[in-house]
Amino acid sequence: MDLSPRMFKWLFGRNSEWWPTNMKTGMWAWIGHRLTGIILVVYIFMHLSFITTASLGDGEKNFNALMAVTSQPLLVAMDFLLVVVVIYHAMNGFRVVLFDFCVGIKHQKLIFWIMMAVTAVLTVAGLWAVWHLIFPGGEV
Amino acid sequence: MAEQRVATSKVAGTWAWYMQRLSALALIVLLAVHIYLDHFEGVAEEESGDTLIEFGDVSLRFEELIYVVVDYLLLAFVLFHGLNGARTVLLDFDRFLRHRKVLDIGLFILGVATLIWGIVILFPFLQGD
Repeated sequence: MDLSPRMFKWLFGRNSEWWPTNMKTGMWAWIGHRLTGIILVVYIFMHLSFITTASLGDGEKNFNALMAVTSQPLLVAMDFLLVVVVIYHAMNGFRVVLFDFCVGIKHQKLIFWIMMAVTAVLTVAGLWAVWHLIFPGGEV
Repeated sequence: MAEQRVATSKVAGTWAWYMQRLSALALIVLLAVHIYLDHFEGVAEEESGDTLIEFGDVSLRFEELIYVVVDYLLLAFVLFHGLNGARTVLLDFDRFLRHRKVLDIGLFILGVATLIWGIVILFPFLQGD
C-alpha cells in the first residue's frame, strides 16, 4: 500500500471525507474515555467468569489450570494492555472530575497532555514490572 | 427523529452524574491501595515460592481481612461505576432513551445480581484448607 505523504494527507488531511477533521483534542479524549470504559465493563464480566472456575467441580485444580494458562507471556501481554486501558481511563477521568470542580477547564488541552504524560510514565513503570513475565529469561 | 443534544446531567440525572464522580475518586484511591497490597506488600511468593499465583496463594492472602475488604469494595464500586457509565453511553441513543425505565431497572438488576455473583465466587478461597 502506498503510504506516501500524499496518501496520508488524503486520509487525514483537512478535507478528508471520512476522518473527522473537525474533532479536536477534547473530543478524542471523550471518545477514548467511552471506548476504554466499554472495554472495562465487558472485562469485569470476563474477570468474574475466570474466578468462577474456583467454584466449579474441583475448584482448586480448575483455578490453578486457568492460572497456568493466563501466566503465558502472550496473555500477560494482553493483561498489560488492559492495565494501560485502566491507566488511560483513570487519568482522563481525573481530568474530567477536575473540570467538574471548575479546576483548570480553561487549560483543558494542556491538562490532557499532562495526564497523557503521567499515563506514559505509569505505563513504562508497569511494563518494567511485568517485563520478565512477557519475555521470560530474556536479557534486556 | 431530530433531537437537540442536552447536557448529560439533564438526561441521566444529577444524582447519577454526582455518584459517577464520587465513585471515580473512590476507585482511584482503592486502586492505589490494591496495587500496593497485592503487588508491593505481599507478592505471590507466599505459598508456592514462584511468581505463579495459585489457589493456595490467594487463599493465604485472604486470611488477612484487608484483602477481602478491598476486593469487595473494588467490586462494588467498579460495578456501580461501570454500569452507571454504560447507562450514560446508552442514554445517548434514542433507542435506549425511549425505554429508560426498562434500562434503569435492567441495569440495576444486573448490577445487584453481578455483585452477589462476585461475592459468592470468593467463598472457596475464604474457606481455606
